[in-house]
Amino acid sequence: MLNILVCVKQVPDVNLVKIDPVTGSLIRKGVPAILNPLDANALEAAVQTKEQYGGTVTCITMGPDQAAEALRECLAAGADKAILLSDRAFANADTLATSYVITSAAKLFGSFDLIFCGKESLDGATGQMGSQLAERFDASQLSSMSLLLAVDEAGKTVTAERELEKGVETAEAKLPCLFTVEKTNYRPRIPNLKSWKASRTAEITTLNSLSIPGLDPAQIGDPGSPTKVPRTYPPVVGESGHMIDEGSTEKNVDTLFELIADVL
Amino acid sequence: MNKNDYRDMWVFIEHDGETIQPVSLELCCEIRKIADAAGEKLVAVVVGTLPESETEKLMETGVDVILRVSGTGYGYFNVDAYANLFTVLCRKYLPTAVFVGGTINGRDFAPRFACRLPTGCTSDATELVWDPKTTDIEFIEPAVGGKMMAVITVPVMRPQVGTIRPGTFKYVPTGKRPCSVIEETVDFPEAEIRTRVLDFKADDFDESLNIADADVIVCVGNAVKVDSLPKYRELAALLGGKLGCTRPVFDRGVLPFKLVIGQSGVVVKPKLYLSFGVSGAVNHVTGMQDSGCIVAVNKDPDAAIFKYCDYGIVGDMDEVCEQMLRHLRR
Repeated sequence: MLNILVCVKQVPDVNLVKIDPVTGSLIRKGVPAILNPLDANALEAAVQTKEQYGGTVTCITMGPDQAAEALRECLAAGADKAILLSDRAFANADTLATSYVITSAAKLFGSFDLIFCGKESLDGATGQMGSQLAERFDASQLSSMSLLLAVDEAGKTVTAERELEKGVETAEAKLPCLFTVEKTNYRPRIPNLKSWKASRTAEITTLNSLSIPGLDPAQIGDPGSPTKVPRTYPPVVGESGHMIDEGSTEKNVDTLFELIADVL
Repeated sequence: MNKNDYRDMWVFIEHDGETIQPVSLELCCEIRKIADAAGEKLVAVVVGTLPESETEKLMETGVDVILRVSGTGYGYFNVDAYANLFTVLCRKYLPTAVFVGGTINGRDFAPRFACRLPTGCTSDATELVWDPKTTDIEFIEPAVGGKMMAVITVPVMRPQVGTIRPGTFKYVPTGKRPCSVIEETVDFPEAEIRTRVLDFKADDFDESLNIADADVIVCVGNAVKVDSLPKYRELAALLGGKLGCTRPVFDRGVLPFKLVIGQSGVVVKPKLYLSFGVSGAVNHVTGMQDSGCIVAVNKDPDAAIFKYCDYGIVGDMDEVCEQMLRHLRR
């Protein structure tokens, strides 16, 4: 029986985030928080693996209380258990601190054979969490995993395809193994009404910094994060280009072709 | 940790025994500038051997030191040996910064050795500035889907680790300098490598997916309708160019990742770049701003893309595309 972990994140739908033109700060109000889209592919890969080999899928996330909603989405789509790590002390964490909290908490729930992650988050988009989680779980890692071919529980190995820059690699890795998942073969399933309803009332195990024994306060949240963001600023944009407005699409296109004639 | 104990900026030279990955040379050229600003040496870390012509190319970027590593465990790329190697080297030589090309391999092992050291790791910066007051490197990058620029620093820990996407910086070698070679042996037991390559199938070479060197690119943004795609393909073909897209188009599953232009995709520099329904988020603009001529078509007159273009048309993207097709066919 495989013990499978899926690490997920709730993110603001960045496509809907607007910038306050006066203050230059982000307007998060009214922007829906969603399950990071690529994490849904990771979950699907995990659930398909469970369906084939048997086992348990646990999903884990760190975030505010409302991140429970992302976990319920995972439960509706086939996860068995959900863990929410929520504490003000976890805030402002970079990938180093986040990977520390997630692995410290996950270890309380046993040792995992397979760990699935999305390739990157929609908001931070560092793409570093997979590597750093693998390091802290002391797991092998197969990034850009597009198809899990076989799990050999007795031999403690897994075989999978990876989509690399110039082709597809077939690789074997020792368990425990962490994957970052490509969306190619793992389109998220649509939960049926019954599982969706069950997810609404399912139990979510919630832990804070005090309920994880031995957690080092110096390694979590802002103090545990070596990378800092001293400032942000709106992108510098130039003056508008030459706008073509001749009154009709036909005339606009004719003018455009005259203007770009020398580059064609 | 005392920051003053750390010195010199490193670039990992990724190669296959025959050629150096372009991104490694691009990084040497860029880090040469900030190493000079900081008064530090530029060190190229080469694992295994390079043909003489490639070593020559590397020295032309102005590296001061080549740190040449030999040992067991590096026969094929694996995260275990490389993460161990950089942990060992960083603890011995104490560099201020380590830069790694943002290839799949680089993005696999760099965050991992940074975590083991431990230290801070950043990814996908599009601009690097050395701050003389703090002696920190500012890693500047688009954030929140390109709606803001964020300055990221590693103010206390060393080394400062960064992965940088291919094509972000230009390959402009500034010429040879006196260069010394340090030989180093770090063995990694092959039995401890946890991954093994069983097979590799090169992608059938699909020229339409190779957009990095195209002279003309027609780029569609999130507003594109799936049914309309053939129009844009045809326009690209008639102009002798290729079709590209923005990240959300890939996220919707409409076009493959290899066609994504931007910070987390391909950086392109065509002579002519035509965008349709592209809003102009910075993380996309980062990937195309060096194009010769930028044309933007968008129905929203306030779209940010118009701030970056040479020529803009406010209008329905499909209508403009169809009119361009009619124009080209006649």
